[in-house]
Amino acid sequence: MLIYKLGKGSREKVQQFMTITGASEKVALQALKASDWHLEGAFDFFYSQPQISAANTRRLEEMYNKYKEPDADMIMVEGVSQLCNDLHVDPQDIVMLVISWHMKAATMCEFTRQEFIGGLQSIGVDSIEKLREKLPSLRAELKDDHKFREIYNFTFNWAREKGQKSLSLETAIGMWQLLFAERQWPLLDHWCEFLQVRHNKTISRDTWTQLLEFVKSIDPQLSNYDEEGAWPYLIDEFVEYLIENGFVQRK
Amino acid sequence: MSSAPKKRGSRIEPFRHRVETDPNFFDKSWRKLHDAIREIYNHNASGLSFEELYRTAYNMVLHKHGPKLYEHLTANLKEHLEEMRTSIEAAQGGLFLEELQRKWDEHNKALQMIRDILMYMDRTYILTNKKTPVFDLGLELWRDTIVRSSMIQGRLLDTLLELIHRERMGEVINRSLMRSTTKMLMDLGSSVYQEDFERPFLEVSASFYSGESQQFIECCACGEYLKQAERRLNEESERVTQYMDMKTGEKITAVVVKEMLANHMQRLILMENSGLVNMLVEDRYEDLTRMYSLFHHVAEGHSTIRSVMASHIKETGKSLVTDPERLKDPVDFVQRLLNEKDKYDNIINVSFSNDKSFLNALNSSFENFINLNNRSPEFISLFVDDKLRKGVKEASEEDLETILDKVMMLFRYLQEKDLFEKYYKQHLAKRLLSGKAASDDSERSMLVKLKTECGYQFTSKLEGMFTDLKTSHDTTQNFYAASSSDATDAPTISVQILTTGSWPTQPCSTCNLPPEILAVSEKFRAFYLGTHNGRRLTWQTNMGTADIKATFGNGSKHELNVSTYQMCVLMLFNSADALTYREIEQATAIPAADLKRCLQSLALVKGKQVLRKEPMSRDISDDDSFCVNDKFTSKLFKVKIGTVVAQKETDPEKLETRQRVEEDRKPQIEAAIVRIMKSRRVLDHNSIMTEVTKQLQPRFLPNPVVIKKRIESLIEREFLERDKTDRKLYRYLA
Repeated sequence: MLIYKLGKGSREKVQQFMTITGASEKVALQALKASDWHLEGAFDFFYSQPQISAANTRRLEEMYNKYKEPDADMIMVEGVSQLCNDLHVDPQDIVMLVISWHMKAATMCEFTRQEFIGGLQSIGVDSIEKLREKLPSLRAELKDDHKFREIYNFTFNWAREKGQKSLSLETAIGMWQLLFAERQWPLLDHWCEFLQVRHNKTISRDTWTQLLEFVKSIDPQLSNYDEEGAWPYLIDEFVEYLIENGFVQRK
Repeated sequence: MSSAPKKRGSRIEPFRHRVETDPNFFDKSWRKLHDAIREIYNHNASGLSFEELYRTAYNMVLHKHGPKLYEHLTANLKEHLEEMRTSIEAAQGGLFLEELQRKWDEHNKALQMIRDILMYMDRTYILTNKKTPVFDLGLELWRDTIVRSSMIQGRLLDTLLELIHRERMGEVINRSLMRSTTKMLMDLGSSVYQEDFERPFLEVSASFYSGESQQFIECCACGEYLKQAERRLNEESERVTQYMDMKTGEKITAVVVKEMLANHMQRLILMENSGLVNMLVEDRYEDLTRMYSLFHHVAEGHSTIRSVMASHIKETGKSLVTDPERLKDPVDFVQRLLNEKDKYDNIINVSFSNDKSFLNALNSSFENFINLNNRSPEFISLFVDDKLRKGVKEASEEDLETILDKVMMLFRYLQEKDLFEKYYKQHLAKRLLSGKAASDDSERSMLVKLKTECGYQFTSKLEGMFTDLKTSHDTTQNFYAASSSDATDAPTISVQILTTGSWPTQPCSTCNLPPEILAVSEKFRAFYLGTHNGRRLTWQTNMGTADIKATFGNGSKHELNVSTYQMCVLMLFNSADALTYREIEQATAIPAADLKRCLQSLALVKGKQVLRKEPMSRDISDDDSFCVNDKFTSKLFKVKIGTVVAQKETDPEKLETRQRVEEDRKPQIEAAIVRIMKSRRVLDHNSIMTEVTKQLQPRFLPNPVVIKKRIESLIEREFLERDKTDRKLYRYLA
């Protein structure tokens, strides 16, 4: 309704904005107003506030129903697979993890109605096409340190088997490979090898969270690693493993 | 005659003796004194009148001739002294000191008299003008004119030093002459004594002893050398008391100590084949005492001895505990440790005056090496086991007490006290159950010692074992009292009921008891459960014994004391002549390893072969056949077969025990962590590690890696969490 009151130039800007960002008209107007009708500024505004949208709830319901199981109120493996297909992404693509994080999904490969709809709302999309367009910016969120940490820590609970306290080794390794490919941690392969050879048990939450600290603060040559540094014992053993096999020098 | 009368009144006439007017007054008076002094120096003083001379001097001073008198006196004394000097200088060789002494005496005597004569001057002119009093003046003049004269000074010193040197080399010298000479120097003032004698004396002594020590150390063993040093120290001390100033005593001692001991300390103590280590090994108390008392004077002397002793103890201790030969016999192993401890207790007591720092060094050395061998706890328990089995057979009760007290000293050194507890429990159980605890009093006494050392918790379970046996005894009696009316040809049983938890856990295995035994045991079980509802009894067939009456084919009758397993096997032969291994195994259901051991002890041990095995080989295979040995003989009626004695564990058993102990430690570590965190709320990583180790120290030394794992486990179970900002900090979650 508001669009009648706009001048032609502004109307064009709104159109342009909506096409590029996939946002709704309301959102577009908000962003352009906030940036005084400068398109660039509007984009900045929009991308810094992914949750400003009030996406069409009905469309979201429709989306949900498309993917949900026929006889359960959940989106399960098949639905997820279909979703990935529609998004033109591999189910193993890390962007699915980011999306799951937005949805605050409790378990891998499952979305409740609440999770799905709430998640899409918070991302600010209400259609597959819009979601598809959003993918690059979602991937970009991994570059943000703070967000990466949140996503990383989220992953532990999400990837766990239902009812388990710890993460199975296989799953953990898979997740680490996924996550740290982004971060380029040089010791990743050694770490996974070490776990398979020496540990062969589940991964505790403390180990999981502390590993990120380790990756962030200790350099790959371990020059600033401190034995008395209250690292989980698994990490201490990993350091021993690296030294024993000559991958790093003993201090 | 004249006629004019002269008028004569009384008038007061002034003193006739107006010396004042006599211009020669001073000279005349001085002449008197001068001559008198001469006579005094010529030993002709007896003819003089003291009073007159005193008066003369008095008058002189009164008439203001003090200064002049003083001057003349000084000059005069000097003259006399110069005469004396000539005489002294002329003295030859040995007479030099005598002459000096003689003249000194004369001078002293003269001075006394002169002083007395001039006493008025001393008290007036000299005092007010702050001049040196007469006597002191005389001494100063002596000093300057004689002692420090160019011809005499050097000669005097040389003579004194020469004599001392000769005395050091063994000659006898005139000590009283020495004494009076040094006294002369002291009388002249302590600085004269020090400058003109003491300092050079100390220097010369230093180089003398430097030379002597060098000489001796090349050719003497340590003990010999120390004797010599001691001798010299005593000698010098005595010399000082005889003819030197007392204060020189500590100075010369310091010189001897430095030259003979301090400078060679390392070399002496570490001397091969004769130094400290050798003395310790050979218990040379006298040498050790001497070394201790001599090196008391040397800086770092005692600490050097102490650390050499400690290293030596650690070294011998280490080789003792790691020697594979020694490890074959645990009792001998521990005995040797006790012997070592006794040896050093004695040495420290006798030779090192029970010096506490040495005792501490001994303790920490022992603590150090005893824990190098992780079987020490087991061996010490075996040693105690051995002693408690033999009881008062081998040693009197007092001796046993003493031995146990000494063992407790070794126990204190153990780091892994919880491991010891486990073994002690095992060994005690075996002792109690096989009836091998020789003296109940000694057993209790040992428990009390352990309780005193480690607290109630350590011994509560052990005490439970004793209680169980007593209760079992009563229960068995009650059983028989209750069933006295029943048939009496059933075998008699004596039951020991062990409370699980107090006794070391034994894995229970299968065993088919002979029917007679089964019957009576079930009867007992019914009786027991009748009075103790809700309990469960499990027969520990691997721990029991049996007495069987046996009649052999050759007619010999014996009573055999065997294990329960052996009983089950033997009873089979009541209904069969020969049985194969397989058949025996099936019938008894005893586990293979135990059964084979059991059969071996029945058939292959010389003198105890109640069974015959075919073939006679050591190993047992399925088809080997067994039958009763009808040719069995023994000198004794009662024959004991296969008693179970506490052996030191085999390797797999050892591993199992250690694993169990490690498992037991985990909850203890966790409990400590929780306790600490509960009270501190927030604590950093390193502090937790330190605190936990400290808390558990009375029982064992926790492995840091294990502590870490426990912390992580507690985090996992949400007892603790890491601080959000500082990952090295832990928080307690209520």
